[in-house]
Amino acid sequence: MTMEHQAVHPGHPVHPGTLTRAEAEEFLYREARLLDTLRLEEWLTLFTDDGLYWLPIHDGEPADAKDAVSILYDDAERREERVFRTLHTPVLDQNPRSRTVHMVGDVEVGDVDEHGDVRVLCSQFVAELRAGGPRQVGLNQTRMFAARGEYRLRSTAGGWRMSLKKLLLVDADQPLYNLTFLI
Amino acid sequence: MDAGVFDAEMRRIFERTWVYVGHESQVPAVGDYRTTTIGRQPVIMSRHEDGEIYVLLNRCRHRGSVVCRDEVGHSNYFRCPYHNWGYANDGALVGMAQSSGYPEDFDKSRWGLRKAPGVANHRGLVFAKLEEGGLTFEEYFAPVRKYVDWWLNRSPSGSISVLPGAHKYPYPGNWKWQAENGHDGYHGNYVHESWQRLLERAGEGTVRDVRKYRTGGCTRGFANGHGLLERPGGLNPAASWTGRMMVKYPEYAEALKGAYGDEEIEEISARRNIFVFPNLYLFDTQIRVINPLAVDRTEVHLYVYGLDGAPDELNRGRYRAHERFYGPAGFGSPDDVEIFVCNQTGLQASGVDWVLLSRGMHREKVNGDGETVGHSTDETPVRSLYREWKRLMAV
Repeated sequence: MTMEHQAVHPGHPVHPGTLTRAEAEEFLYREARLLDTLRLEEWLTLFTDDGLYWLPIHDGEPADAKDAVSILYDDAERREERVFRTLHTPVLDQNPRSRTVHMVGDVEVGDVDEHGDVRVLCSQFVAELRAGGPRQVGLNQTRMFAARGEYRLRSTAGGWRMSLKKLLLVDADQPLYNLTFLI
Repeated sequence: MDAGVFDAEMRRIFERTWVYVGHESQVPAVGDYRTTTIGRQPVIMSRHEDGEIYVLLNRCRHRGSVVCRDEVGHSNYFRCPYHNWGYANDGALVGMAQSSGYPEDFDKSRWGLRKAPGVANHRGLVFAKLEEGGLTFEEYFAPVRKYVDWWLNRSPSGSISVLPGAHKYPYPGNWKWQAENGHDGYHGNYVHESWQRLLERAGEGTVRDVRKYRTGGCTRGFANGHGLLERPGGLNPAASWTGRMMVKYPEYAEALKGAYGDEEIEEISARRNIFVFPNLYLFDTQIRVINPLAVDRTEVHLYVYGLDGAPDELNRGRYRAHERFYGPAGFGSPDDVEIFVCNQTGLQASGVDWVLLSRGMHREKVNGDGETVGHSTDETPVRSLYREWKRLMAV
C-alpha cells in the first residue's frame, strides 16, 4: 500500500485482504435482493463514487473499454441516470417492467488489485420476464442470462462498496433483446 | 404479415439489388475476412493478397458446406470442413483432397467460390449485388452520394474506422419497422419522452428546447428508395455538435478548415440519419445494418466507428454518447424496438387493410435536384422507400 494509493482512495483500509468469502457472498446476495425488489436507489449506494458498472462485448480490462464500445459502461452519473430513467420517467422499454430473479454462485475471493481493492469472482444466472396481455409480441417470455462476474470491493467507513461490477455475458457478442432492466 | 411476401422481398430486393455488406476498415489486412449475409445467402467479405475486397458466396462448390464459420478472422485460405477443398482469399479453388479422383484436365478455374457479380466500394463502404443487370452502382447511389460524402467528411481525412465489437439487437418483428423508423422525425417526442426528460435532468436542454429543435430541419425522399432525416447545422456551438466540437477541440477545427471550405463545413455540420435502400443507415455514431431473418424476425447491427484524424477524446465522447442512447441497454434504441413489437402485435388485426403513410403529402415539395423535401416530421422518406419496394417487387 503506497501513500499514492491512499491519496487516490482516502479512507482505504490498512488491511484490504481481510474480505472473507462469507462477507463477499453476503454482499452479492444483498445486491441481488436489491435488484430483484427494484430498490435501485439503494443499489446505487453499493458503488464507490469512482465505481464502474460494466457489461463488455469482449473480455478485457476496464481501461480497454474507453476506446471500444460496450453493452454498457456506466460511471456514477450514468448509473444514476439509468435508475432515474427506470423509476421516474415514462419509459416504454420498462413498461411493463422486468421481473427478475438473480442467482449468484461460484463465489471466490481473489487477489488485491493495484488500487488495493479485492477482486471477487462469481457466476450469475438471471431469469427475466415482462408480463403483458395475451399474445403480445415481445412479452410473456422468460429469458435467461448467464454471466461471469468480476467485482472489486473496497472497504469504506460505510462497509464494503463496489469499485467495479463487471458482467461478461456468455452471449455478450450475440444479438441481445432488451437489456434495460438492471442486470 | 405474409411469409410469401417476405420470400419475394428476399428474392426480388435483397438478393437482386445493391445491398451494403461491410466497411473496408473491418478487413484492413490481406487475409482478413468477415462473414455476413445478403438476403438469406451467406457470404464472405475477404481481403485478398492483391489488396482488393472480394464478396464470395460462402458455399463449397463441391457439396455445398460453408467454408467459413467465424464472424471475423484472418486466414491464408478457406477450407471446406467436409472434404478439405481449399480456396484462396479471392475464392479461387486451390486444391481438393485426394485429387486423383478427378481427371487430369479437371478445370479448377471453373470451380472457385462464386463471386458476387457486383461489388462496389464507395470511400470504404462496400456494397454487393447478387444478380447481373439492373442499375449500376453509380446510378443506384447517385441520389444520396453527396450526403454520404458530407457524413464521411466529419473526419478531416474523410474516412472512418469501425471499432471491433458491435451492438446487436434482434426483435420479433418485420425488418421494415426498423427501415421506416430511422428517418422518422415524428415519433421522438412520444417514444423518447423518457430520453428528453434525461436530457433536461442533465442540464443538456429542457424538454421544450429539445422539442423545438426537433421541428427544425427536413426530411428528404430520393429515387431508388433512399431517404434521410436532417437537422440543421451551423458553426455556432449552440447550433450543432460539429460547432461544439470545433470550439472544444481547436485542433479538430483547424483540421476541418484545412480540408474543407466554410460552406462545406456548414453542410458537414448538419445532422442526418441517412437511409441507403434497402439495409443501411448511416448515423452520427454508427453504421446500422438491417438483417431480415424471417417475416417476423429481424436482427439489427450497430457498428460504431471513429472519425479518422479527429482527437481521441472527441471520439471517446462519441462512443460514450452512443452507449448512452443506442444498443440493447441504451436509453433510446430499446424504446424504438418496443414500438416495432407493438406494430407486430397490432398488425395481427388483419381486419384493417392498410397503414397510413400520407403525413405531409400536401406540403412536400420537389426541389431542383429532384429530391422530395418534407417537414422534419413528415413521412416523405418512407414513401420513397415504398416506391422503390413496389417497383422491385413488381418486376
